[in-house]
Amino acid sequence: MSRLLSSALSLRRDPRILKLPPYLSFLCILVGVVWLFLLPLNNYSRRTYISENALLPGQVHTYFGGSEHHVLRAYRHEVDEIVGQDNYQINDKLEEILTGVGLKVGRQNYTYHSAGDEYSGQNLYAILQAPRGDATEAIVLVAAWKNVEEQLNRNGVSLALTLVRYFKRWSLWSKDIILVIPPDSKTGTQAWVDAYHDAHNPELVAPLPLKSGALQGAIAIDYPQDRHFKAIHIIYDGPNGQLPNLDLINSIVNIAGGQMGMTTSIQKMKQHTNNYPDRLQTMLRGMLNQGLGYAAGAHSSFIPYHVDAVTLQPYGEGFQDEMAMGRLVEGSFRSLNNLLEHLHQSFFFYLLMQTDRFVSIGTYLPSAMLLAANFTIMAISLWVKSGQSATQGSGKSKSKGKGKKGAASAASTTIQNEGRDLFLPLAIVAACHALSVVPLYTFNRLPASMLAPAFAIFSAISAAIPLVISSLINVFYKPTTQHFQLTKSFSLLVLGMCLSTLATLNFSLAFLIGLLATPLSFVRPVKSAAVRWSLAGLLNVVAPPTVVYTAAHIWGISIADLLREASFGWNVWGMYTPVLIWCLWWPAWMVGVINVFGAASA
Amino acid sequence: MTLRGKASVYVGAALLRLILFLAFPGLPDLLTGRVEISTPVTSFKRLQEGLFLYTNNVSPYDGGVYHQAPLLLPLFSLLPSVKAWPIFTHLLYILVDVLSADALYKIAHSGEAGSSKLFTSPRRAKKWSGVAIAAAFLFNPYTIATCIGRSTGVFTTCAILHAISKAIYGSPFKAMVALSFASYLSMYPILLLPPVVLLAYDRQLEKRRVASGLQFAGTNVLVVVGCVAVLLGMSFVITGNSWEFLARTYGIQFTLSDLTPNVGLWWYFFIEMFDSFRAFFLGVFWLHLAAYPAALCFRLRPQPLAVLTIILGTFSIFKPYPSLADASLFLSMIPLFRHIFPLMRYSFVTTSTLLYATFLGPAFYHLWIYAGSGNANFFYAITLVWSLGQSLLVSDLTFALLRDEWEIERPDMIGKEIRQI
Repeated sequence: MSRLLSSALSLRRDPRILKLPPYLSFLCILVGVVWLFLLPLNNYSRRTYISENALLPGQVHTYFGGSEHHVLRAYRHEVDEIVGQDNYQINDKLEEILTGVGLKVGRQNYTYHSAGDEYSGQNLYAILQAPRGDATEAIVLVAAWKNVEEQLNRNGVSLALTLVRYFKRWSLWSKDIILVIPPDSKTGTQAWVDAYHDAHNPELVAPLPLKSGALQGAIAIDYPQDRHFKAIHIIYDGPNGQLPNLDLINSIVNIAGGQMGMTTSIQKMKQHTNNYPDRLQTMLRGMLNQGLGYAAGAHSSFIPYHVDAVTLQPYGEGFQDEMAMGRLVEGSFRSLNNLLEHLHQSFFFYLLMQTDRFVSIGTYLPSAMLLAANFTIMAISLWVKSGQSATQGSGKSKSKGKGKKGAASAASTTIQNEGRDLFLPLAIVAACHALSVVPLYTFNRLPASMLAPAFAIFSAISAAIPLVISSLINVFYKPTTQHFQLTKSFSLLVLGMCLSTLATLNFSLAFLIGLLATPLSFVRPVKSAAVRWSLAGLLNVVAPPTVVYTAAHIWGISIADLLREASFGWNVWGMYTPVLIWCLWWPAWMVGVINVFGAASA
Repeated sequence: MTLRGKASVYVGAALLRLILFLAFPGLPDLLTGRVEISTPVTSFKRLQEGLFLYTNNVSPYDGGVYHQAPLLLPLFSLLPSVKAWPIFTHLLYILVDVLSADALYKIAHSGEAGSSKLFTSPRRAKKWSGVAIAAAFLFNPYTIATCIGRSTGVFTTCAILHAISKAIYGSPFKAMVALSFASYLSMYPILLLPPVVLLAYDRQLEKRRVASGLQFAGTNVLVVVGCVAVLLGMSFVITGNSWEFLARTYGIQFTLSDLTPNVGLWWYFFIEMFDSFRAFFLGVFWLHLAAYPAALCFRLRPQPLAVLTIILGTFSIFKPYPSLADASLFLSMIPLFRHIFPLMRYSFVTTSTLLYATFLGPAFYHLWIYAGSGNANFFYAITLVWSLGQSLLVSDLTFALLRDEWEIERPDMIGKEIRQI
């Protein structure tokens, strides 16, 4: 080991080696991106399969049908009667129905605040005690009164009521079944799941009066349309890019396709012809959803608590009726009922490119890691270079303790005479990261009406700050090339380190930020003013504020709405995307621009 | 630097900790729950459990949760309840950190790292002031995290640093008493006895000089034995005239019966182990740990402080329940050797490795415990990286020390590359 290292270290002297890293780094980016585009090919992706044998999807006969249809119609009339009433009246009626079926019913009030708005409501839920169980495990059926698009979930609620009435008559359940009817799909389930796990904020969310055992899985029904449907859309994204176990999705696809003869789709790909462009598009849509970290449906709030959950959404014009949807839920519940232990066999990290094709983390992770590695490579090469250009030979070996100390106490400036001067670079990087608290706090606290003007002002300031900082440095210090190299080295080191950590938690977000930050690897102080300004202009194209504006434009929503949703995600779901944008990417970008404007005096 | 500089660093560090304690009331409990900071033998949460049992006149070891020294209990029962008046506990921890920093300041001030009795480094002129080194200790994020997490490891750290500083300033008796306290609290510091005795022997005051090494060592070992015996006797009385505490505190460290994950290498190994091999490998692991002091004392006899630093490094890698407290103690000793930093070769690699492990460790622990999408191997892999970073640092420091010694014999080789063959 030590011989290997020392021979590697003697290579360090070779001037050719020092020229290599930028190319190596570019190669990493290139391979990383190309890698991603190879994934949809047959050779790199795999067909899905059921890992957990206990699930036995589609092996049971489903009996939901026949006279249950009359019950469903009756419940639909009941639901129609209370449409338009307020949350409490609706819950009064639903409670009456569910108590009539013979279930224990609980209610829970909650209030959330975000961007100056108040979101409050009351959850209603009923517990069906398992005839063959001991209340240690439970499966959840969610039918939100309104779906994510704020449409009335008319058929969904009626179907859910019919299903629990039907389930009540069976004696085969070994897990409790909990029906949750939240008033909407965004806040209600979050409050309910938080309270179920005693992780709620008691000032805003009430505790649950009734509880059952550990949740094993959850299925949300999102069925607003009145007509018969053609196929099922499976929504599986959780907040922060977390996903349910692949076995759950596989089972539902299997039951729907194999037993009920329904087609299934994911990521709003209603036409999927199983060719390369469609697969790629599905995968990229999935990555974008994961990267944004935005909760996609009523099921999402379950996933952070390690409860595998999906939303089923019938769509299209076809011949399948409500009873077919009911049988699909019945079949899925029968499978979940079979589980001997929590879903754990199959993958938690995957990219789906079709309902029956996926790539697992081992195959796709290298592409984000390569992007992160590009920053680390540049950081190391800049570190080596900074030691060589300044003082040939003597300042070669450097002080690790100095770095420690400088990082720990930026105040002590006693040590600067030889080797590398670490104080100024560390101070710049630390200052940029400290500044990032401002946008994070502002955009998550401001009321909705002020978000758009505040963002406009912030964008202007963000473009100006690097200019101000670099001129301040020029006035008060005499920065050398080494200072800029070290500044960039530290900044890229932090970026590379955080991105590789993030890639293990949320691959897509790490990939997206990594890709947008790649230009930062290659910027450096330039002599000519024209080049400098054009480079700064180009960097401003990939600045976080510009990218946010562009994204809002592409999705066709106003910047105020985008920021309000982001603030909502942060305040209600604990979505951490804003942290990474403002506290990781933005400071790294600022350091990059400071580097462009940096004029070395020596 | 001036006294004012020293005072401002101490006050600054104390204020920073106080602000962290007061501004983020959830932070202490969050950090206390982290496995990187709290081990079964230093956890503040377990101390609370022990304290509750103790104040209710039940043996603190009955719950099977508390594995720390019995004398901590009367100390903490003197303080007002941590629930009602957390500020007193916080002040105690801040005070202990500042005391440790003060001992470190004295160690740095003595210049022992650069020139001991038997060895004077040609590079010794290049060194940092005591204030800078104390600041590096106090503002090290690991030290801050340990203090906020209220790990009882800080008491051991404090005792070890005081033992070293007293030994340097020619008061062997006080050094031995401090070392006895450290050993009583955590057991493993007893392995520091040989280098501390050597250090004290080298730095004796002229008027009370004991020429015979054996006599000096014998006296000091007797002092330690006596001191530890008194402490154990007091513990015996406190825990209701029972020796049960021996098995529950030191026994746990010997047999590793609590397998809570930590940043060390032992827990995973012993989870996987078949019971029939357990005793054998416990022996091997302990023997390995205990082998370092003797070997290093022989090889680096002229520089006892360097021996102590390297041993503290190996402890923070190889001891049964290591935590960030041990790493921060080791890292705080390193700036003392500023003069040999130019001889160290892997500093950037080491720093990056340790930083990567610091970031990835909590992420992988989250994947394993909370998200459920990872497993124990994730976290163990990161503890391996963490240990790799630390062992690189230890071996690099040892290399630099030896090279520094060697260049006195071979002045012609200064500045040239050498290769191990």
